[in-house]
Amino acid sequence: MQEEIYQSFENYFNNEMILEDKIALESQLEKDADLKQKFDLYKETSVLLAQKFSVETKSFKENLKNIAKENNSKKKSKIVAFKPWYFMVAASITLFFGLLYINQPIAKYDDYNQHQNMNMVERGDVIKSLKLAQDAFNSKKYKEAIKYFEVVLKQNPTPEIRYFYAISLLEDNRFVDSEILLNELSTGKTSFNNSATWYLALSKLKQQKPEECKKILKTIPTDYEDYDQVLKLLKEVD
Amino acid sequence: MATTIHVDQLYINGLAENNSSVIETIYKKFVPKVIHYIKNNSGDEDRAQDIVQETLITIYNQAKTKDLKLSCPFDAYFFLLCKRRWLNEIKKTSGKEVTIVDDNVYKDESTLELIHQTEIFEEKQSLFDRMFQKLGEKCQEILKTSFETKTMEEVAEKLNITYAYARKKKSLCTGELTEMIQESNQYKLLKK
Repeated sequence: MQEEIYQSFENYFNNEMILEDKIALESQLEKDADLKQKFDLYKETSVLLAQKFSVETKSFKENLKNIAKENNSKKKSKIVAFKPWYFMVAASITLFFGLLYINQPIAKYDDYNQHQNMNMVERGDVIKSLKLAQDAFNSKKYKEAIKYFEVVLKQNPTPEIRYFYAISLLEDNRFVDSEILLNELSTGKTSFNNSATWYLALSKLKQQKPEECKKILKTIPTDYEDYDQVLKLLKEVD
Repeated sequence: MATTIHVDQLYINGLAENNSSVIETIYKKFVPKVIHYIKNNSGDEDRAQDIVQETLITIYNQAKTKDLKLSCPFDAYFFLLCKRRWLNEIKKTSGKEVTIVDDNVYKDESTLELIHQTEIFEEKQSLFDRMFQKLGEKCQEILKTSFETKTMEEVAEKLNITYAYARKKKSLCTGELTEMIQESNQYKLLKK
């Protein structure tokens, strides 16, 4: 008897019941409080089991673990690799050009283009292109990343993917395409709107339009997580 | 009663969507305060990180299964959840009552109500988990496989059983689990 009840619940939830049986079960549930209690608990149990074993939950936990690790080890910079000899060379070049252009404005796009790493692909069943896009993005191969993002976006145009795609376009100097996306993201209701506005300002900076950059910066609310960067750049473009 | 949804609902939605930027923002904006609190109250960095992760997983699960609506600032909700989890842990390991030096910061009723709901949700979930562990091996295997795999045809193939048997066994095992839950004392307490 119990067996039949559980099987009928299962069929009901999977929408595999013929209409008459469905109506019969529903009217029985209305009359029989004990059965209704069993039915509700069966439903709740199924939902919790599905949640416990879902691929989504696994990838959430994995992602959380990675982000926690990054924050725990106090790695402040999100740049993939730091190579001291590159830094030395870069520093000398900067010094050289710095001396040459001492009277030029100091705000430079390159001082602000340390993008956060993409951290989406730690899951087993993700599309291959997304993994390739992420690897290319994190190793700063933006042209390559763009190619893979375009494949992924056809199937999965999530705000997060569009956001990283827009940054890659900006890096590749495709300002118009990048700004269309950033504008959409900055006015949308996603968690990326402030970051997208920040990148819009960086796009203007890269195109050497300090006035436009300043105007956009001023629209970023003070509770933006990287507001210290906004203030720093505002001072520099002023 | 209709509750107003707080603007910080974006953190709940971001967690439910596994949005890395939102999770990173949570780590930047809200986690340091929790770590500081735990370290100042007999904990260390590693335990504090565990408490944070466990709390975020609970919020994620509740958001995914119960449509969690935030009626207060995320900061208050998250900090209090972590704090209470930590104090409970100290209580469990030391076996002593802990004197809570209350900071009197969040006494808002909607915050407390929301925290209560999350804690009940978590107790329920841990009861389900414990009962699942008590199921026979075969039942655990078929349930795990059927929720990890898309179709029951694939489940049958993976476990080398017939499709009809796989379906029947899944419903019986879920049924057995519900009976174990229903008969447990903790479930009776949670229902009150």
